[in-house]
Amino acid sequence: MTRALRVEWLKFQRSPVVVVSTVLMVALLPAIGLGMFSVASADVAGPLAAKVQGLLIGEGWEAYLGVISQVAAAAGFVGVGVVAAWTFGREHSDRTFPSLFALAVSRRSIASAKFVVVGIWIIALAAVVTLVAVLAGTLGGVDGSAAERGPALFRLFLVVAATGLLALSAGYAASVGRGYLPAIGAIVIVVAAAQISVLFGAGGWFPFAVPGLVAITGSQAAPALSPAQLALVPVVVLAVVWLTVDWWQRAEVV
Amino acid sequence: MMALIEAKGLVRSFGDEQAVDEVDLVVEEGEVHALVGLNGAGKTTLMRLLLGMLRADAGTASIAGADVGGAGLSTWREVGYLVETPFFYPELTTRENVTVAGILHGLDQTALERSVTGTIDTLELGHWADRRARGLSSGNRQRLGLAAALVHDPRVLLLDEPANALDPAGVVLVRDLLRDRAARGAAILVSSHHLDQLARVADVITVMHRGRVVGGLDPTEGDLEQRLFDLVSEADERIPLEQR
Repeated sequence: MTRALRVEWLKFQRSPVVVVSTVLMVALLPAIGLGMFSVASADVAGPLAAKVQGLLIGEGWEAYLGVISQVAAAAGFVGVGVVAAWTFGREHSDRTFPSLFALAVSRRSIASAKFVVVGIWIIALAAVVTLVAVLAGTLGGVDGSAAERGPALFRLFLVVAATGLLALSAGYAASVGRGYLPAIGAIVIVVAAAQISVLFGAGGWFPFAVPGLVAITGSQAAPALSPAQLALVPVVVLAVVWLTVDWWQRAEVV
Repeated sequence: MMALIEAKGLVRSFGDEQAVDEVDLVVEEGEVHALVGLNGAGKTTLMRLLLGMLRADAGTASIAGADVGGAGLSTWREVGYLVETPFFYPELTTRENVTVAGILHGLDQTALERSVTGTIDTLELGHWADRRARGLSSGNRQRLGLAAALVHDPRVLLLDEPANALDPAGVVLVRDLLRDRAARGAAILVSSHHLDQLARVADVITVMHRGRVVGGLDPTEGDLEQRLFDLVSEADERIPLEQR
């Protein structure tokens, strides 16, 4: 798979979609979190402040990082989903898919390499978003020491990473739908379905809603998640990877 | 002479449309075998079947003696092709695109650098080597697609309309490339609508119509166009009206 990895990494680092998505998530997630935290913490009245105050769980760093985690659970799915959709769908949209047949590298290796590259990017993204959140919080005057808020930092990293890995499912949609536009539609549907499942109290059993529920751990609205519900997240991620790689190996040119 | 490309009783349909119907075809090493026919004759579908891009409903396709359905990576390493769309990624430079093709076709690092430079020179793409492919003209994109097909010096070559979008100098270049590769033992299956060009390069010309092989043309005889239309007309007379 080394050959496929080399090619996929070259394409990935040259992609404007990846650059834009990375910059937006690294800059905007902490910025939105800090903005919402500042509005909620300020002693102001009004419907916006009241709404934002409802998102705060705990105080200081815990509340600040919790807000970022909540935003990341939804926005991160879209941001990473677009990159996954592009990585797999561009071979169809750019009409390069037929040229990935009859090669000394199997299509199974090519699809696996795409997952490896995007997967590593997701983990790195989660780490960088967490670091930038600490920097932004420190510069923004969030009370207390970041080191004292280890669990909240770990939760933020976990939420971004889990959200991103679940968003790999956009790669499956882009493969089967043979382009990135069907995958964008799938992302919208999944985000809406996650919201609805939480509204009906079934979010714990809908893996795409689980990172959002983890993000609000500690609030009265958060259901206790069972080990089985948590385990569904990696199961879905692995199933998506397996189904996509299998599709790539079996697909025909149409 | 060894048969490097072979189709036996190959059949593939799309719904009610029989795109390839009982096609037999052999291309031997050192041979340029041309496929001609009207639009929709089944030439591209036949090439896709031979490259494993489509699965046959019936019959067999083989490359260098290996059945296409079970051919290993070592078999595909011997194959180069350009079918319909040139292979390139717009965000990569010309050199990077040819390098990507070389990697995917199995070249090792030592051979890769030499082959990429040599192929870019052969296709006269040196001036655009470090430019992004998205900025290339359609003719140079076609040259880039040819470079991607040839970079690993394949023993088996399938080219669908290789002279598409090329200027007269490019057409001559392709013709010389095909003759050179065939002289070195490559088996080449090429489709084109340019009969005059095919007459200068092909050893064998097979005519397809409505998914079937309906005859052959002798490249050394004159007025290939008229003889092509004659074969097509004769085939239409043989095919029942409801199957047309």
